[in-house]
Order: sequence, then C-alpha cells, then structure tokens
Amino acid sequence: MSDSPSGAAKIRQVEAIANGTVIDHIPAGMTIKVAALISGSDDQVFIGVNLRSSRHGRKGVVKISGRELSERNLASLALIAPEATICIIREYAVIVKKTVPMPDRFQDIALCANPNCVTNHEKWSTRFEVVGRSPLHVRCVYCERSFEATDLVLI
Amino acid sequence: MNFRGRHVISIADFSRPEILQVMERARDIERSAPRDLFAGRLMATLFFEPSTRTRLSFEAAMQKLGGRVIGFSDAASTSTKKGESLADTIRMIEQYADVIVMRHPRDGAARLASELSRIPIINGGDGANQHPSQTFLDLYTIAKLFPELLDGTRELTIAFAGDLRYGRTVHSLLTALCHFRVRMLTIAPRGLEMPSQYLEQAKAAGIPLEETSLQEAIDRCDVLYMTRLQEERFPDPLEFDHIKASYRISASMLKNAPAHMRILHPLPRIGEIARDVDPSPHAHYFAQAGNGIPVRQALLSAVLGSVER
Repeated sequence: MSDSPSGAAKIRQVEAIANGTVIDHIPAGMTIKVAALISGSDDQVFIGVNLRSSRHGRKGVVKISGRELSERNLASLALIAPEATICIIREYAVIVKKTVPMPDRFQDIALCANPNCVTNHEKWSTRFEVVGRSPLHVRCVYCERSFEATDLVLI
Repeated sequence: MNFRGRHVISIADFSRPEILQVMERARDIERSAPRDLFAGRLMATLFFEPSTRTRLSFEAAMQKLGGRVIGFSDAASTSTKKGESLADTIRMIEQYADVIVMRHPRDGAARLASELSRIPIINGGDGANQHPSQTFLDLYTIAKLFPELLDGTRELTIAFAGDLRYGRTVHSLLTALCHFRVRMLTIAPRGLEMPSQYLEQAKAAGIPLEETSLQEAIDRCDVLYMTRLQEERFPDPLEFDHIKASYRISASMLKNAPAHMRILHPLPRIGEIARDVDPSPHAHYFAQAGNGIPVRQALLSAVLGSVER
C-alpha cells in the first residue's frame, strides 16, 4: 500500500494522511483491537477493515495522523499483530517502512491468562518472555505457563 | 558455584552441575549431621495454605542442625486475612529472619516474593506451579537407590503414573531428569496425559518416551513414580471410580517386577497404592519422605552460606 502522491492513481481504500503512521497488514479481526489499543483520545485515526490483501486474503489498516508509535504501542502491536507492517509518513510520502520489532520480553503490556497467577491477585507487574515465534508464544515469568499471545488480554 | 543468598523458586532455574552440587551437599550432611550447622540462624515458614509434610520437614531440617523457626501455617491467622499484600508481608518478615520458606495458593507467588526479598526465599509450593524441594528430594532418592543416575553408566527407566496433566511434582521431576540419562514411561487416564510442553522438553533433551500400562511399567522399570488422581478433575464420579480402580497398585501386581524396582510417591496417597504393598521391598515412599530432611538441610545451608565448623 502506498501513501505517496504517485500511488494516488490507485483507488485508495482508506483516506491518506499527510503525516503520521500507517499500520498495514493487520490480520482480519484484529484491526479494531489494534486501533483501540494504540490510539489516544486526541488522535485522528482512520480505520480500514476487511481490505483485500495478497498476503492475508483480508487485512486491516489503521492510520494515525500526526504522530509515531510509542514504545508501548509497539510492544502491544508485537503481541497482537506481530506480522503487521509500520510505515512512517511525512508529507504523504513513506519515509520508513518496517516490520513490528519483536522484543524478547514484555512488561506490563498484558494480563496473564492464568486466573490463578499471582499477578492477577497482587498489585504487581506482569512479565512475559517470548518462547516461540509464528505463532507467537510467551511464558509468564511468574506462573511459568505458556500462552499463545492472542490469548492474552492487553492492559 | 556459590548459592549464598540465592532464591530457590523453580527447578528450571538449576543447571545440571548445580543440581549435582545440591545432591552432594545432601549426602555430606546426611553422613556427618553437623549439629550446629544452623546455630544462630532463624528460618521463617510462611504457609499461606496448609501443608503438613513440607512445613514439618523444613522445620525439622532447621531445628535438627541447631537453627530456630518462626512462622505461621494458616493465612487465616495473619494480616493477609486483613488484606495485607504479599509484598508487604515479605518486606516485614525479611526484617526478622535469615531465610524464608513459603507456600502460597497462587502460581508465581514465590517468584514475586523473591523479587523484593533481600533474604533467600525457598519455594515450598506455589499453587499448581513449582515445588523445587520436592523435586530435589525425589532426585536424591533416585540417586541414592541408583547411583548410575548421576554418573550415567546405565540408562534408568523411570515410569510416571497417575495424573500427569496437573501433577506439578511430575512436571518438575521430568524437567530435572532431562539433565540425566533416563528413559521415561508414562501411564495416565485419558485427559490427564502429560502436557505437550513437557513431552517436547523431554524430546528436545533426547530422552526416549513411551506410553504404556501400569502392569507393563511395573515389570520393566527401575522407578515407578506414582501420583494421586484427584476426584475434582473428573466431572463424572462414576468415571472417577472406574479409572481409580485401574490406577491402583496392589502386592499381587508386583510378582514379576525386577528385584531392584522401587515405587515412589510424593504422598499423600489416597488409594492408588494398596496397603499390602507397604511391606514389600519395592515400597520406598516413606524412605523417600525421609530424604526430605537432608535435602532441605542442603538447600538451607546452601542459601544461608552455612559451612561445617
């Protein structure tokens, strides 16, 4: 997908943004979740769901005007949509295109899915280590249980 | 390797040389029983849920070698009942004692405690997660019976029977045995089989693994590690009664067992080992429980940095 003026010949499925971040190739079904997680109350956000994609069949796109993603946004994205791509847009041009950086561990990004995990009962950080990729599996540092990342509820 | 000040939270935190070091220390302590090893040292036992054998075994381990013990055995009698957080309880107790042994109903509670305690935490069981001192004593028991476990001169056949899905002692022992030359047999009712992550772990360690029947395991293994079937895991009481009957060892089933085969059980047993097995030379579960003393003394002395004077 292109946000450059040269790509304007194609019919754009989601409104172009002048400056900001485009999160593309979001797996179908995760788009609204991604948008809700990374957008602040003052952000101008454009959302496209069930768009055609040669890679996924269907995909979602979220465009946030006027800013780049925070470290916390990136970590959330790594957990729920690790295969998405991120484009930084300046003056309608893609100046950086990258995959979601995958950290080795996540802190205070998601709740542990084990109801008996101590982190669900005491006021304490949650911490997960990545134990497998594609699909992403993480292990709670505390209760030592492993989960598919999509089973976690983000904080 | 220096264990002084170290926390004992999960068997997975220990390398093979570290496990061997604990075994060696337990053997030395059992031989020499240094009476004043823990003189002047104070152990706090924080048992947020009841446990008879683990608590008494840690307390006996400490007191037999000159140490003293404070603590509680029921959270109902503490400020936890008033809503005190685990973090605050730990921060308070660490001011009083030299080492904390804790059992807690929540998975991961001991790891959390270890992140804020400046004195060593020994996990005496955190929910369904870990119980490392039990694993060390299970390993020590096997190594005492079969020294070839440690030197690897013969492949030992270890059979696990019962609730292999939820039994934490089984999971931890499997993790520890992955450091040694063993073959594993598993016997479990449908739905209570060993979780795939542990099968994968054994496979990755190059350990041969096969499913079998209880009788076949008895006839060919070196160690049969029995665990309790818990009724609450079965939605249908009739099904539980039926399965319980097929996971019960009686003396008559031991006729063709190898002479050296030994039956272990973390206890308590509910009926999976009939009483007529107790007098058999194959029964080793009470001796196994006895090994809890030198093993816990070894762990305590390691983390306290206690040396014989």
